[in-house]
Amino acid sequence: MNGLGKEVTIVMIEDDEGHARLIEKNIRRAGVHNEVVPFTNGTEALDFVLGADRSGLASAGRFLLILLDLNLPDMSGIDILQKIKTNTHTKRLPVVILTTTDDEREIQRCYDLGANVYITKPVEYESFAHAIRQLGLFFSVIQIPETQ
Amino acid sequence: MPISNAAFVRSTIILLMAGMISLLGIVGTSLWLVSKVQVYFAELIEVREVRSSAADLLSTLKDAETGQRGFVITGEANFRKPYDDALKAVAERQKSLEEKAARFPRYAERIPDIRRLVSEKLVELAETVEAVTQGNSSEAVAQVKTDRGRIIMDELRTQLGDIMSDADRHLQEGVIDTLWSAGALQWTTVIGAIAIIGVLGGAAIIVAQYTRDIVVARREVETLNATLEKRVDERTEELIRANQEVQRFAYIVTHDLRAPLVNIMGFTSELQASLGSIQGYVLADEKPPSADDILEARRAASEDLPEAIGFIRSSTKKMDGLINAILKISRDGRRELKIERVDIKALVEAGAAAVNHQVGESDGEIAIDDKLPTVISDRLSLEQVFGNLFDNAIKYQSPDRPLRVSVKARNAGRAGFTIEFTDNGRGIAPEDHERVFELFRRSGTQDKPGEGIGLAHVRSLMRNLGGDIVVRSELGQGTTFVLRLPSDLSKVVRSMQA
Repeated sequence: MNGLGKEVTIVMIEDDEGHARLIEKNIRRAGVHNEVVPFTNGTEALDFVLGADRSGLASAGRFLLILLDLNLPDMSGIDILQKIKTNTHTKRLPVVILTTTDDEREIQRCYDLGANVYITKPVEYESFAHAIRQLGLFFSVIQIPETQ
Repeated sequence: MPISNAAFVRSTIILLMAGMISLLGIVGTSLWLVSKVQVYFAELIEVREVRSSAADLLSTLKDAETGQRGFVITGEANFRKPYDDALKAVAERQKSLEEKAARFPRYAERIPDIRRLVSEKLVELAETVEAVTQGNSSEAVAQVKTDRGRIIMDELRTQLGDIMSDADRHLQEGVIDTLWSAGALQWTTVIGAIAIIGVLGGAAIIVAQYTRDIVVARREVETLNATLEKRVDERTEELIRANQEVQRFAYIVTHDLRAPLVNIMGFTSELQASLGSIQGYVLADEKPPSADDILEARRAASEDLPEAIGFIRSSTKKMDGLINAILKISRDGRRELKIERVDIKALVEAGAAAVNHQVGESDGEIAIDDKLPTVISDRLSLEQVFGNLFDNAIKYQSPDRPLRVSVKARNAGRAGFTIEFTDNGRGIAPEDHERVFELFRRSGTQDKPGEGIGLAHVRSLMRNLGGDIVVRSELGQGTTFVLRLPSDLSKVVRSMQA
């Protein structure tokens, strides 16, 4: 996966460290070797993506792909999605929602807010690992825009 | 005073019966009086006829005597004419009297005497007249002089006179009776009219009263209907809210339980995969393991296995924690409320005293309004509510200013009391105002220990008490929790059961 020849950083916002570890393992197994920056809560993740002042300038010139869980302890993933997609600097960042929720309205809402992909985490590990590996394969071919 | 249906029917029936009885009485009395008058009248006519017949007979006999006397004195034939005429009429008059008197026993018993006297008188008259006709005038005069004729006549006069005077008396009595009947009829009519007016008036009063009661009752039903709709709306709203909460709760619970489950299943599979590489090394009895096998087995033993076991352990612990938290809330929801008088002021002061030490550390201050009310509620629930709020106020106080907490109350009328719990802490972002009350959800920087149970617990406690809790907050400025608490929980419980 690259963006204009530059390495893309995967921002993984996932409160469950076990999930984060399993996701990373399976992405690696799909041959994706990009840097993964994990966050276990929304506040820190937003600090990284939009900067402490939430202006989004912090991401200027970066190539980011965001893996986002909807259920976070300190804020809702939907709020993070909304903040990223309404910020002029980060609105083009691809956001992959990866969550346990399969509520139809929630899915629609995420796409309405500009989510690029929505994946429900399967409970059964075979399917879980398969889904993440497929996602990893997908990561290896997509183009990421540069943040402005 | 509202008339019950049965009483109305009973009094109406009694009135109708009374009316009917008085009407029947009036009609019966009238009929009886009228028939009595008729009877009196018919009797009067008959008595009158008897009397006139008696008078006729007497006058005819007098005529005959007059003719006899004239003829005896003069001996001239033309003086005999009244005698002859009377003689012809006597039989008829006598018969008429007999017929009419036959209906009255008191007159009929006199008839034989009268008949005898009349025939004796006629014989006496005939003898004298016969003597004169044969020229024997002196014989006739002698006959008259015997006074036999006068005696017979006197007896007749007495007999007939008795009949006539008796008839006169009866006539007089009959007239009095008839007059009395007419008077009675008049009075009956007057009394009947009064009775009917009374019954009608009573009926009218009862109908009017009943109608008024119906109108009052209908108005009551209308008011009830109007408020019923409102009450149904309120209940429906509560139900919808409760239903949404249950759904939200179920969603959170399933999601939060699912997350560690994914870990357990995932790391179990990872464990199995690592076990493969270890087995490849340890169980390779025949051929020696390659360098790669050795490296992989070492990595599995040193990194993958401990990591997987660590995650499995932490996930099961997390699941256990979640289940315990859910159990705690569900137990609190099922706990029997002990309804008693609770002095909120004393309760809040006790809650403040419990955190006094921590507040003092940062030069904090807790201001408790003197006007906090006394309510009928569950003490333990309220203690937990305020305990949680004080804990939160301390936990999330702003680091750059001393903590200020104030507890105020105002009477919200029918809704009970509104208690405002205000702090000057770090505040809650607007999008998290509802979320803070959700189970396992927290707001802002996760720099404090906690499971995200406190406010969810507080809300479920408040709702159990028939109240609610909402939050007003500005990020960085402070937070006000607004508690609505009914003044009497027992009433709430009763209305829920109703």
